[in-house]
Amino acid sequence: MELVKPDSLDAAVDALQEDGAACLSGGATLVAMMNSDLVAPDRLVSLRNIPALRHVRYQADGSVVIGAMRHHRETAQETNFRDGQSVISEAARQIANPPVRNMGTMGGSCAFFDPAADYPPALVAADARFLLRSSEGHRTVSADDFFVDWYETALKDGELIEFVVIPPAHSGSIGNYTKLARVSGDFAIASVALVMAMEEEVCSYLAVAVGACGPKPARSREGEADIMGGRLDNSAIARLTDALDALLDPVDDVRASAEYRRRVAPRMVRQAIRKAQKVLSEVR
Amino acid sequence: MSTDAIKLMINGVGHSVAGVTAGTTLLTVLREKLALTGAKRGCNQGVCGACTVMVDGAPMRSCLSLAANCTDQDITTVEGLALDGALSSVQQEFVSGNAVQCGFCSPGIMISAHALLRGNRALTAEEVRAGLSGNLCRCSGYKKIVEAIVKASETRP
Repeated sequence: MELVKPDSLDAAVDALQEDGAACLSGGATLVAMMNSDLVAPDRLVSLRNIPALRHVRYQADGSVVIGAMRHHRETAQETNFRDGQSVISEAARQIANPPVRNMGTMGGSCAFFDPAADYPPALVAADARFLLRSSEGHRTVSADDFFVDWYETALKDGELIEFVVIPPAHSGSIGNYTKLARVSGDFAIASVALVMAMEEEVCSYLAVAVGACGPKPARSREGEADIMGGRLDNSAIARLTDALDALLDPVDDVRASAEYRRRVAPRMVRQAIRKAQKVLSEVR
Repeated sequence: MSTDAIKLMINGVGHSVAGVTAGTTLLTVLREKLALTGAKRGCNQGVCGACTVMVDGAPMRSCLSLAANCTDQDITTVEGLALDGALSSVQQEFVSGNAVQCGFCSPGIMISAHALLRGNRALTAEEVRAGLSGNLCRCSGYKKIVEAIVKASETRP
Protein backbone atom coordinates (compact mmCIF):
# COMPACT_ATOMS: atom_id res chain seq x y z
CA MET A 1 0.00 0.00 0.00
CA GLU A 2 1.21 3.49 -0.80
CA LEU A 3 -0.06 6.94 0.12
CA VAL A 4 0.19 9.77 -2.38
CA LYS A 5 -0.76 13.39 -1.74
CA PRO A 6 -1.43 15.16 -5.04
CA ASP A 7 -1.74 18.95 -4.88
CA SER A 8 -4.15 19.42 -7.77
CA LEU A 9 -7.37 17.86 -8.99
CA ASP A 10 -5.73 16.80 -12.26
CA ALA A 11 -2.92 15.04 -10.38
CA ALA A 12 -5.50 13.36 -8.15
CA VAL A 13 -7.52 11.88 -11.01
CA ASP A 14 -4.27 10.75 -12.65
CA ALA A 15 -3.24 9.02 -9.42
CA LEU A 16 -6.65 7.32 -9.28
CA GLN A 17 -6.11 5.56 -12.63
CA GLU A 18 -4.19 2.69 -11.09
CA ASP A 19 -6.11 -0.49 -10.20
CA GLY A 20 -6.86 -0.65 -6.50
CA ALA A 21 -6.55 3.09 -5.93
CA ALA A 22 -8.95 4.77 -3.50
CA CYS A 23 -9.50 8.36 -2.40
CA LEU A 24 -8.71 9.20 1.21
CA SER A 25 -10.58 12.26 2.45
CA GLY A 26 -11.21 12.56 6.21
CA GLY A 27 -10.53 8.90 7.00
CA ALA A 28 -13.59 8.56 9.21
CA THR A 29 -14.94 5.72 7.06
CA LEU A 30 -12.07 4.38 4.97
CA VAL A 31 -9.51 4.03 7.78
CA ALA A 32 -12.11 2.35 10.02
CA MET A 33 -12.66 -0.19 7.22
CA MET A 34 -8.91 -0.67 6.82
CA ASN A 35 -8.51 -1.20 10.58
CA SER A 36 -11.12 -3.98 10.34
CA ASP A 37 -9.34 -5.61 7.36
CA LEU A 38 -12.45 -5.07 5.24
CA VAL A 39 -10.61 -3.12 2.56
CA ALA A 40 -6.95 -2.88 1.58
CA PRO A 41 -6.44 -0.38 -1.26
CA ASP A 42 -3.13 -0.64 -3.11
CA ARG A 43 -2.88 3.12 -3.34
CA LEU A 44 -4.42 5.79 -1.17
CA VAL A 45 -4.88 9.13 -2.88
CA SER A 46 -5.07 11.70 -0.09
CA LEU A 47 -7.14 14.74 -1.12
CA ARG A 48 -5.87 16.82 1.80
CA ASN A 49 -3.53 19.02 -0.26
CA ILE A 50 -6.20 20.20 -2.71
CA PRO A 51 -7.63 23.31 -1.01
CA ALA A 52 -10.35 23.85 -3.64
CA LEU A 53 -12.08 20.69 -2.44
CA ARG A 54 -12.52 22.22 1.02
CA HIS A 55 -14.34 25.32 -0.16
CA VAL A 56 -17.99 26.29 -0.29
CA ARG A 57 -19.20 28.62 -3.03
CA TYR A 58 -22.41 30.60 -3.35
CA GLN A 59 -23.82 31.11 -6.81
CA ALA A 60 -25.94 33.98 -8.04
CA ASP A 61 -28.98 31.73 -8.52
CA GLY A 62 -28.86 30.74 -4.81
CA SER A 63 -27.11 27.39 -5.29
CA VAL A 64 -24.66 26.39 -2.57
CA VAL A 65 -21.71 24.40 -3.92
CA ILE A 66 -20.02 22.25 -1.29
CA GLY A 67 -16.53 20.88 -1.93
CA ALA A 68 -16.21 17.13 -1.41
CA MET A 69 -13.63 17.64 1.38
CA ARG A 70 -15.81 20.01 3.39
CA HIS A 71 -16.13 18.68 6.92
CA HIS A 72 -19.47 17.88 8.56
CA ARG A 73 -18.72 20.50 11.22
CA GLU A 74 -18.41 23.22 8.57
CA THR A 75 -21.59 22.16 6.78
CA ALA A 76 -23.45 21.97 10.11
CA GLN A 77 -22.46 25.61 10.76
CA GLU A 78 -23.18 26.85 7.23
CA THR A 79 -25.16 30.09 7.48
CA ASN A 80 -25.80 30.70 3.78
CA PHE A 81 -28.42 28.04 3.19
CA ARG A 82 -31.73 29.67 2.29
CA ASP A 83 -35.23 28.27 2.68
CA GLY A 84 -35.37 24.47 2.61
CA GLN A 85 -31.65 24.11 1.81
CA SER A 86 -31.22 24.03 5.59
CA VAL A 87 -32.22 20.36 5.53
CA ILE A 88 -28.54 19.77 4.67
CA SER A 89 -27.12 21.57 7.73
CA GLU A 90 -29.75 19.93 9.96
CA ALA A 91 -28.57 16.51 8.76
CA ALA A 92 -24.89 17.47 9.20
CA ARG A 93 -25.52 18.50 12.81
CA GLN A 94 -26.83 15.02 13.59
CA ILE A 95 -23.91 13.04 12.18
CA ALA A 96 -21.95 11.10 14.83
CA ASN A 97 -20.16 13.35 17.37
CA PRO A 98 -17.83 16.40 17.41
CA PRO A 99 -14.48 14.65 16.69
CA VAL A 100 -15.99 12.66 13.81
CA ARG A 101 -17.67 15.80 12.44
CA ASN A 102 -14.22 17.45 12.51
CA MET A 103 -12.82 14.64 10.34
CA GLY A 104 -15.59 13.30 8.13
CA THR A 105 -16.44 14.93 4.81
CA MET A 106 -19.50 15.12 2.58
CA GLY A 107 -17.64 13.45 -0.29
CA GLY A 108 -16.26 10.66 1.88
CA SER A 109 -19.59 9.89 3.49
CA CYS A 110 -21.48 9.89 0.18
CA ALA A 111 -18.85 7.84 -1.69
CA PHE A 112 -19.07 5.10 0.93
CA PHE A 113 -22.89 5.37 1.04
CA ASP A 114 -24.08 3.65 4.13
CA PRO A 115 -27.86 3.85 3.55
CA ALA A 116 -28.30 4.64 7.26
CA ALA A 117 -26.06 7.72 6.98
CA ASP A 118 -27.57 11.20 7.30
CA TYR A 119 -26.58 13.02 4.11
CA PRO A 120 -28.17 10.70 1.52
CA PRO A 121 -31.87 11.34 2.35
CA ALA A 122 -31.18 15.05 2.94
CA LEU A 123 -29.42 15.40 -0.44
CA VAL A 124 -32.18 13.50 -2.23
CA ALA A 125 -34.89 15.68 -0.63
CA ALA A 126 -32.92 18.81 -1.58
CA ASP A 127 -32.57 17.67 -5.24
CA ALA A 128 -28.79 17.95 -4.91
CA ARG A 129 -26.42 17.13 -7.78
CA PHE A 130 -22.97 15.54 -7.70
CA LEU A 131 -20.16 16.75 -9.92
CA LEU A 132 -17.94 13.73 -10.62
CA ARG A 133 -14.50 14.06 -12.18
CA SER A 134 -12.18 11.59 -13.87
CA SER A 135 -9.25 11.82 -16.28
CA GLU A 136 -11.82 11.85 -19.09
CA GLY A 137 -13.64 14.94 -17.86
CA HIS A 138 -16.61 15.49 -15.63
CA ARG A 139 -20.30 14.67 -15.43
CA THR A 140 -23.23 15.65 -13.25
CA VAL A 141 -25.43 13.08 -11.53
CA SER A 142 -28.55 13.78 -9.45
CA ALA A 143 -28.47 12.59 -5.84
CA ASP A 144 -31.34 10.26 -6.70
CA ASP A 145 -29.18 8.56 -9.36
CA PHE A 146 -25.92 8.79 -7.41
CA PHE A 147 -27.14 6.54 -4.58
CA VAL A 148 -27.70 3.23 -6.37
CA ASP A 149 -27.93 0.36 -3.91
CA TRP A 150 -26.56 -0.70 -0.51
CA TYR A 151 -23.01 0.74 -0.39
CA GLU A 152 -23.10 1.24 -4.16
CA THR A 153 -22.96 4.61 -5.92
CA ALA A 154 -22.73 5.86 -9.50
CA LEU A 155 -18.96 6.44 -9.05
CA LYS A 156 -16.88 4.53 -11.59
CA ASP A 157 -13.30 3.38 -11.16
CA GLY A 158 -10.96 6.34 -11.45
CA GLU A 159 -13.71 8.86 -10.69
CA LEU A 160 -14.01 11.14 -7.66
CA ILE A 161 -16.59 13.52 -6.24
CA GLU A 162 -15.44 17.10 -6.79
CA PHE A 163 -18.40 18.91 -5.26
CA VAL A 164 -22.09 18.70 -4.43
CA VAL A 165 -24.53 21.37 -5.63
CA ILE A 166 -27.47 22.25 -3.39
CA PRO A 167 -29.88 24.08 -5.71
CA PRO A 168 -32.05 26.94 -4.44
CA ALA A 169 -35.04 25.59 -2.54
CA HIS A 170 -38.67 26.54 -3.20
CA SER A 171 -39.16 30.12 -2.03
CA GLY A 172 -40.53 30.25 1.51
CA SER A 173 -39.93 26.56 2.14
CA ILE A 174 -38.35 25.16 5.28
CA GLY A 175 -36.17 22.07 5.68
CA ASN A 176 -36.09 19.62 8.52
CA TYR A 177 -34.31 16.38 9.22
CA THR A 178 -35.59 13.90 11.78
CA LYS A 179 -33.59 10.90 12.87
CA LEU A 180 -34.58 7.99 15.05
CA ALA A 181 -31.49 6.35 16.58
CA ARG A 182 -30.64 4.27 19.64
CA VAL A 183 -28.47 7.04 21.02
CA SER A 184 -27.59 10.50 19.76
CA GLY A 185 -24.96 10.22 17.04
CA ASP A 186 -25.60 6.60 16.07
CA PHE A 187 -26.55 5.63 12.54
CA ALA A 188 -30.28 5.98 11.93
CA ILE A 189 -32.91 3.31 12.52
CA ALA A 190 -34.98 5.48 10.21
CA SER A 191 -34.71 9.11 9.14
CA VAL A 192 -36.89 11.61 7.31
CA ALA A 193 -35.63 14.59 5.30
CA LEU A 194 -38.29 17.08 4.36
CA VAL A 195 -38.57 20.34 2.40
CA MET A 196 -42.00 21.95 2.54
CA ALA A 197 -43.84 25.22 1.83
CA MET A 198 -47.42 26.33 2.46
CA GLU A 199 -49.57 29.09 1.02
CA GLU A 200 -52.35 29.68 3.51
CA GLU A 201 -53.81 26.21 4.10
CA VAL A 202 -52.50 24.77 0.86
CA CYS A 203 -49.27 22.79 0.54
CA SER A 204 -47.38 24.57 -2.25
CA TYR A 205 -44.24 22.42 -2.14
CA LEU A 206 -43.25 19.11 -0.64
CA ALA A 207 -40.20 16.82 -0.96
CA VAL A 208 -39.76 13.90 1.45
CA ALA A 209 -37.01 11.29 1.50
CA VAL A 210 -36.89 8.38 3.93
CA GLY A 211 -33.45 7.06 4.94
CA ALA A 212 -32.20 3.78 6.46
CA CYS A 213 -35.26 1.83 5.28
CA GLY A 214 -33.94 0.24 2.11
CA PRO A 215 -31.06 0.18 -0.36
CA LYS A 216 -31.36 3.91 -1.10
CA PRO A 217 -33.35 6.91 0.13
CA ALA A 218 -37.04 6.48 -0.72
CA ARG A 219 -38.84 9.36 -2.39
CA SER A 220 -42.22 9.26 -4.13
CA ARG A 221 -42.52 12.10 -6.61
CA GLU A 222 -46.00 10.92 -7.58
CA GLY A 223 -47.04 10.99 -3.93
CA GLU A 224 -45.60 14.48 -3.52
CA ALA A 225 -47.32 15.76 -6.68
CA ASP A 226 -50.60 14.35 -5.42
CA ILE A 227 -50.33 16.28 -2.15
CA MET A 228 -49.13 19.61 -3.60
CA GLY A 229 -51.85 22.15 -4.32
CA GLY A 230 -54.21 20.68 -1.73
CA ARG A 231 -54.87 20.84 1.98
CA LEU A 232 -52.71 18.73 4.28
CA ASP A 233 -55.48 16.62 5.77
CA ASN A 234 -54.98 13.17 7.21
CA SER A 235 -56.12 11.38 4.07
CA ALA A 236 -53.68 13.32 1.86
CA ILE A 237 -50.80 12.49 4.19
CA ALA A 238 -51.90 8.85 4.35
CA ARG A 239 -51.81 8.63 0.54
CA LEU A 240 -48.22 9.89 0.60
CA THR A 241 -47.09 7.53 3.37
CA ASP A 242 -48.74 4.63 1.49
CA ALA A 243 -46.86 5.61 -1.66
CA LEU A 244 -43.61 5.79 0.31
CA ASP A 245 -44.29 2.50 2.07
CA ALA A 246 -44.43 0.75 -1.30
CA LEU A 247 -40.88 1.97 -1.97
CA LEU A 248 -39.35 0.86 1.35
CA ASP A 249 -37.33 -2.34 1.50
CA PRO A 250 -35.94 -2.41 5.04
CA VAL A 251 -33.82 -5.21 6.51
CA ASP A 252 -33.27 -6.54 10.02
CA ASP A 253 -30.03 -5.36 11.54
CA VAL A 254 -28.46 -4.72 14.93
CA ARG A 255 -30.36 -1.44 15.27
CA ALA A 256 -33.92 -2.58 14.54
CA SER A 257 -36.03 -5.12 12.69
CA ALA A 258 -37.40 -4.52 9.21
CA GLU A 259 -40.92 -4.72 10.62
CA TYR A 260 -40.18 -2.03 13.19
CA ARG A 261 -38.80 0.25 10.49
CA ARG A 262 -41.93 -0.22 8.38
CA ARG A 263 -44.00 0.73 11.39
CA VAL A 264 -42.11 3.86 12.42
CA ALA A 265 -41.21 5.34 9.02
CA PRO A 266 -44.77 6.44 8.05
CA ARG A 267 -45.32 7.89 11.52
CA MET A 268 -42.07 9.83 11.28
CA VAL A 269 -43.13 11.22 7.89
CA ARG A 270 -46.50 12.27 9.29
CA GLN A 271 -44.86 13.90 12.33
CA ALA A 272 -42.31 15.71 10.16
CA ILE A 273 -45.08 17.12 7.94
CA ARG A 274 -47.19 18.19 10.93
CA LYS A 275 -44.17 19.80 12.58
CA ALA A 276 -43.29 21.72 9.41
CA GLN A 277 -46.93 22.78 9.04
CA LYS A 278 -46.85 24.20 12.57
CA VAL A 279 -43.57 26.05 12.02
CA LEU A 280 -44.82 27.49 8.72
CA SER A 281 -48.12 28.63 10.26
CA GLU A 282 -46.21 30.42 13.02
CA VAL A 283 -44.00 32.19 10.49
CA ARG A 284 -47.04 33.58 8.66
CA MET B 1 6.06 -1.78 3.02
CA SER B 2 8.06 0.95 4.68
CA THR B 3 8.22 4.50 3.50
CA ASP B 4 10.86 7.08 4.27
CA ALA B 5 10.91 8.58 7.74
CA ILE B 6 8.01 10.96 8.30
CA LYS B 7 8.07 14.18 10.28
CA LEU B 8 5.39 14.84 12.87
CA MET B 9 4.87 17.83 15.16
CA ILE B 10 3.58 16.56 18.49
CA ASN B 11 3.09 18.69 21.61
CA GLY B 12 5.30 21.35 20.07
CA VAL B 13 8.19 18.97 19.42
CA GLY B 14 9.27 17.78 15.97
CA HIS B 15 9.74 14.01 15.59
CA SER B 16 11.22 12.05 12.72
CA VAL B 17 9.70 8.57 12.69
CA ALA B 18 11.04 5.72 10.57
CA GLY B 19 9.32 2.50 9.55
CA VAL B 20 5.86 3.98 9.09
CA THR B 21 3.82 2.23 6.38
CA ALA B 22 1.05 3.97 4.43
CA GLY B 23 -1.63 2.25 6.51
CA THR B 24 -0.09 3.00 9.92
CA THR B 25 -2.40 5.10 12.05
CA LEU B 26 -1.32 8.10 14.09
CA LEU B 27 -2.44 6.19 17.20
CA THR B 28 -0.02 3.35 16.45
CA VAL B 29 2.84 5.78 15.92
CA LEU B 30 2.08 7.64 19.16
CA ARG B 31 1.89 4.49 21.24
CA GLU B 32 4.37 2.14 19.62
CA LYS B 33 6.99 4.44 18.10
CA LEU B 34 6.99 7.46 20.41
CA ALA B 35 5.93 5.88 23.74
CA LEU B 36 3.17 8.48 24.07
CA THR B 37 0.66 6.03 25.54
CA GLY B 38 -1.90 8.56 26.82
CA ALA B 39 -4.11 8.09 23.77
CA LYS B 40 -5.70 4.64 24.11
CA ARG B 41 -6.73 2.00 21.58
CA GLY B 42 -10.30 1.06 22.47
CA CYS B 43 -12.42 0.18 19.45
CA ASN B 44 -9.98 1.23 16.69
CA GLN B 45 -13.13 2.23 14.77
CA GLY B 46 -13.58 5.85 15.78
CA VAL B 47 -16.52 5.09 18.04
CA CYS B 48 -15.20 5.06 21.62
CA GLY B 49 -13.14 8.25 21.69
CA ALA B 50 -10.29 6.89 23.86
CA CYS B 51 -7.75 7.78 21.14
CA THR B 52 -8.91 11.39 20.70
CA VAL B 53 -6.11 13.92 20.13
CA MET B 54 -6.09 17.56 19.06
CA VAL B 55 -5.17 18.12 15.40
CA ASP B 56 -4.72 21.75 14.38
CA GLY B 57 -6.79 22.74 17.38
CA ALA B 58 -9.75 20.40 16.81
CA PRO B 59 -10.35 17.05 18.53
CA MET B 60 -10.03 14.11 16.13
CA ARG B 61 -9.62 10.34 16.22
CA SER B 62 -5.97 9.27 16.05
CA CYS B 63 -7.12 5.71 15.19
CA LEU B 64 -8.74 7.02 11.99
CA SER B 65 -5.83 9.27 11.03
CA LEU B 66 -3.00 7.86 8.92
CA ALA B 67 0.30 9.08 10.33
CA ALA B 68 1.79 9.74 6.89
CA ASN B 69 -1.17 12.03 6.16
CA CYS B 70 -0.56 14.13 9.32
CA THR B 71 2.90 15.46 8.47
CA ASP B 72 1.81 19.08 8.07
CA GLN B 73 -0.34 19.20 11.18
CA ASP B 74 0.01 20.34 14.76
CA ILE B 75 -0.86 17.47 17.10
CA THR B 76 -1.54 17.71 20.83
CA THR B 77 -1.95 14.63 23.03
CA VAL B 78 -2.90 14.43 26.69
CA GLU B 79 0.83 14.50 27.48
CA GLY B 80 0.94 18.02 26.08
CA LEU B 81 -1.86 19.53 28.18
CA ALA B 82 0.19 20.31 31.28
CA LEU B 83 2.40 23.40 30.91
CA ASP B 84 5.80 23.37 32.64
CA GLY B 85 4.68 20.57 34.92
CA ALA B 86 1.52 22.39 36.04
CA LEU B 87 -1.72 20.52 35.35
CA SER B 88 -4.30 22.28 33.20
CA SER B 89 -7.49 23.46 34.92
CA VAL B 90 -9.37 20.48 33.45
CA GLN B 91 -6.76 18.01 34.72
CA GLN B 92 -6.77 19.70 38.13
CA GLU B 93 -10.57 19.48 38.38
CA PHE B 94 -10.48 15.80 37.39
CA VAL B 95 -8.13 15.20 40.33
CA SER B 96 -10.05 17.36 42.83
CA GLY B 97 -13.45 16.01 41.79
CA ASN B 98 -12.39 12.32 41.57
CA ALA B 99 -13.64 12.34 37.98
CA VAL B 100 -11.54 9.28 37.13
CA GLN B 101 -12.28 5.64 37.74
CA CYS B 102 -10.24 3.22 35.61
CA GLY B 103 -8.81 6.13 33.61
CA PHE B 104 -8.97 4.55 30.16
CA CYS B 105 -11.32 7.20 28.74
CA SER B 106 -9.76 10.14 30.61
CA PRO B 107 -7.11 11.26 28.07
CA GLY B 108 -9.65 11.43 25.23
CA ILE B 109 -12.18 13.18 27.43
CA MET B 110 -9.64 15.75 28.56
CA ILE B 111 -8.78 16.53 24.94
CA SER B 112 -12.47 17.02 24.09
CA ALA B 113 -12.84 19.16 27.24
CA HIS B 114 -9.94 21.41 26.25
CA ALA B 115 -11.58 21.99 22.87
CA LEU B 116 -14.83 22.90 24.64
CA LEU B 117 -13.12 25.33 26.98
CA ARG B 118 -11.71 27.40 24.17
CA GLY B 119 -14.88 29.50 24.05
CA ASN B 120 -13.72 31.32 27.17
CA ARG B 121 -17.00 31.34 29.08
CA ALA B 122 -18.72 29.18 31.67
CA LEU B 123 -20.29 26.06 30.15
CA THR B 124 -23.60 24.44 31.05
CA ALA B 125 -23.75 20.73 31.84
CA GLU B 126 -25.83 20.31 28.68
CA GLU B 127 -23.10 21.87 26.52
CA VAL B 128 -20.47 19.66 28.13
CA ARG B 129 -22.54 16.52 27.54
CA ALA B 130 -22.99 17.45 23.86
CA GLY B 131 -19.25 18.11 23.56
CA LEU B 132 -18.43 14.75 25.13
CA SER B 133 -20.92 12.79 23.02
CA GLY B 134 -18.04 11.16 21.17
CA ASN B 135 -16.27 9.89 24.30
CA LEU B 136 -17.47 6.75 26.04
CA CYS B 137 -16.85 5.94 29.74
CA ARG B 138 -17.84 2.41 30.71
CA CYS B 139 -17.04 2.60 34.44
CA SER B 140 -19.39 4.82 36.26
CA GLY B 141 -21.28 7.24 34.13
CA TYR B 142 -20.46 10.81 33.41
CA LYS B 143 -21.69 12.86 36.37
CA LYS B 144 -18.35 13.67 37.98
CA ILE B 145 -16.68 14.11 34.62
CA VAL B 146 -19.28 16.66 33.51
CA GLU B 147 -19.11 18.43 36.87
CA ALA B 148 -15.32 18.67 36.69
CA ILE B 149 -15.43 20.23 33.23
CA VAL B 150 -18.19 22.68 34.16
CA LYS B 151 -16.14 23.69 37.19
CA ALA B 152 -12.98 24.09 35.09
CA SER B 153 -14.94 26.36 32.75
CA GLU B 154 -16.02 28.53 35.70
CA THR B 155 -12.70 28.73 37.49
CA ARG B 156 -10.07 28.85 34.80
CA PRO B 157 -7.77 31.86 34.88
